[in-house]
Amino acid sequence: MKNRILDSANYKSPSDFPFYVGLILIGGIYIFFIVGLLLADTTYTTVQDFKNIFSSREIRFAIRLSLFSCSLTALLSIWVAVPIGYLMSRFDFPGKSFLDAVLDIPIVLPPLVIGLSLLIFFQTSFGKVIESIFPITYALPSVILAQFMVACAFAVRVMRSTFEQIDQRQEQVALTLGASRSQSFWLVALPAARHGVLAAGTIAWARALGEFGPILLFSGATRMKTEVLPTTVYLEMSTGNIEAAVAVSLIMVTAAILVLVLVRSFGGGRLHL
Amino acid sequence: MNTATKVTIASILIIAALIYFLLPRQDFENDMATSEPLIFYCAAGIKPPVEKVAKEFEENYGIKIQLQYGGSGTLLSNLQVTNNADLYLAGDFSYLKIAREKGLVAEIFPLAIMKPVMAVKKGNPLKISSIDDLYKKNLKVALGNPEAASIGKQTKKILQKVGKWEKLKKQVEKNGVFKPTVPEIANDIKIGSVDAGIIWDATANQYPEIEAIHIPIFDAEPKQITLGVLKSSKQPTNALRFSCYLSAKDKGLLAFKTFGYEPVDGDKWAMRPEVVLFSGGLNRVAIEKTLEDFQKREGVSILTTYNGCGILVGEMRAGQRPDAYFACDKSYLEDINNLFLDEATISETDIVLLTQKGNPKNIMTLKDLTKPGIKIAVANAKYSALGGLTNKLLKEAGIYEAVQKNITYGDAPTADYLTVRVKTGREDVAILYLANTIYVGDELDVIPINHPAAKAVQPIAIGKSSEYKYLMGRLISAIQSDSSKQQFESTGFRWRVETEK
Repeated sequence: MKNRILDSANYKSPSDFPFYVGLILIGGIYIFFIVGLLLADTTYTTVQDFKNIFSSREIRFAIRLSLFSCSLTALLSIWVAVPIGYLMSRFDFPGKSFLDAVLDIPIVLPPLVIGLSLLIFFQTSFGKVIESIFPITYALPSVILAQFMVACAFAVRVMRSTFEQIDQRQEQVALTLGASRSQSFWLVALPAARHGVLAAGTIAWARALGEFGPILLFSGATRMKTEVLPTTVYLEMSTGNIEAAVAVSLIMVTAAILVLVLVRSFGGGRLHL
Repeated sequence: MNTATKVTIASILIIAALIYFLLPRQDFENDMATSEPLIFYCAAGIKPPVEKVAKEFEENYGIKIQLQYGGSGTLLSNLQVTNNADLYLAGDFSYLKIAREKGLVAEIFPLAIMKPVMAVKKGNPLKISSIDDLYKKNLKVALGNPEAASIGKQTKKILQKVGKWEKLKKQVEKNGVFKPTVPEIANDIKIGSVDAGIIWDATANQYPEIEAIHIPIFDAEPKQITLGVLKSSKQPTNALRFSCYLSAKDKGLLAFKTFGYEPVDGDKWAMRPEVVLFSGGLNRVAIEKTLEDFQKREGVSILTTYNGCGILVGEMRAGQRPDAYFACDKSYLEDINNLFLDEATISETDIVLLTQKGNPKNIMTLKDLTKPGIKIAVANAKYSALGGLTNKLLKEAGIYEAVQKNITYGDAPTADYLTVRVKTGREDVAILYLANTIYVGDELDVIPINHPAAKAVQPIAIGKSSEYKYLMGRLISAIQSDSSKQQFESTGFRWRVETEK
């Protein structure tokens, strides 16, 4: 089909210059602001502050715990988000729109409310039974659970839109060729969704790294036990050691950028599950 | 192998790798090495000294302390939900008072004093000198939330009194900010996002970038940083031991001083303090159980000397300095009260007559004691309060001279001797405390005396020279508690403790 505008003989296409300027201006302002924030941070810290941080046993602990809990949260989120995303995109069932709303609750709720709710949940008689077998509140599992509650909701969103964008035809072909539902999922749908899986894991990881409100309430700010990097920032702020707080923040930024870039370049190539 | 299995195996391998390479192990080793840690809810503003002292205590005594920080009010609501903490430290005694009223707190330890100050950037570039300057110059001000932070509560209370709160609040709402903890306000001043704030003097002392401006109305109302041992504590002795360490003048309070707080005087530190209590023999049955429970809970040794109060007073005159003294009667504290702090009245008991079963000599009133042929046993006035009070009673009743000829035994240092004399029939009647007759049972008869002087009032006081004034204060609180009240009332005493002091 031919374009009507290009058909007219003496039509001269307008300059694209204003369009690009618009793009660059709007995007540029935002990017400038992000970079500006980081640069401003660096004025509030020195190399010595970083040295102090890495020599602190508590902060080294927090770095490891953050990396550990975020990675575990990301993995768990993928395990939960893939089936939910698949279910929500492929099937229709009564109460689906209600379930849809429920899945968004962790995203909509203020983080503090999630922390408070977790705290209260584990004080109910049911929660106490769980605690008696496997202590969670104020212990290490609480960090992962608090991160997971929020991070997973984001992963679910990503997985759902991923599956929705994948054409169902291939799966249907697989079914008509005699594959079972399970086979069509594992052999057709999931490999096709691998970039989405990676994106879901990354977003869950990033959300988990920044998670603070629920952790403060549900895990506490216990040094050498439940202290993750955002807790460190909070604790250093609470004694007026803004220099150290900023240094820790910059470590988080660096870690996040490294992981995002690494995973994206890795995922951009060949990634087979 | 199908894809599902592969994915599962890969996930498990990733988790194993995460645990091996990243999971911080320190935590578990320490957990196994020592017993359950103490869970300590600590007001965020008091973190610097507490963290230092907690570390020191852990290293020296191997008791782990888990610190959780937050605003005083926030922590109070948290500990009500979780009910698993051992210690709670608030920036202001009023939070401990609420906690105590809700039945959450057992012992209370005052630590240091803080006063609100106006805080500005070092050098005071805007030349601020009074609260009025804040609105006159239309400055950006940071205050604590009155609901969440104790600094906010205190600022509101004081400014309301002088009628300046509403005005300042409006100004803050317009171009300032309310923050839930003190350090956040101080940080705002340090970064420069506000021109001034109201914070604690101690916090200001911790920031080299901040200058404190003392305001007379603020100086007049200091706040007390207070630590409470919670009833939910599963290891009260360790919790109390750490509280003693934190509140010791030669340990924890030194750290408070270093960080710019004004500490209370505090007790001396000892892993297991030994204190001396002098008590009239009369009070023994009523306090014995309380003392035993107290020693077990606090991990202290109380060396108690029970004796006639006359003897005890004599020993104290001769230079003995007990940490506390629980007298049989207030008259036996009066002469030596320069050695003690303010006394607390605990109980009183009546002076009664004790006769043989069925009262064969028919002694019904004090007057009957003067009848010829009656043999009377009384306590020695030189040694015991009972003897002194007996003499005073007889004198006030106007029969002192008349009774003398009937007193056939007047040497008893304590009341036990008197009971024995009457029981064995050597005397017909003895004058003693109702509280002494509790174990006499049915073998003897107790006749009340209807005279205002026929009673003894028992006060307790802490020695001025004691190194353990706060510990003794907690002992007195234990003696004033409800369970102690039952002990007193079941042993012939009337309760004289006024409910909230």
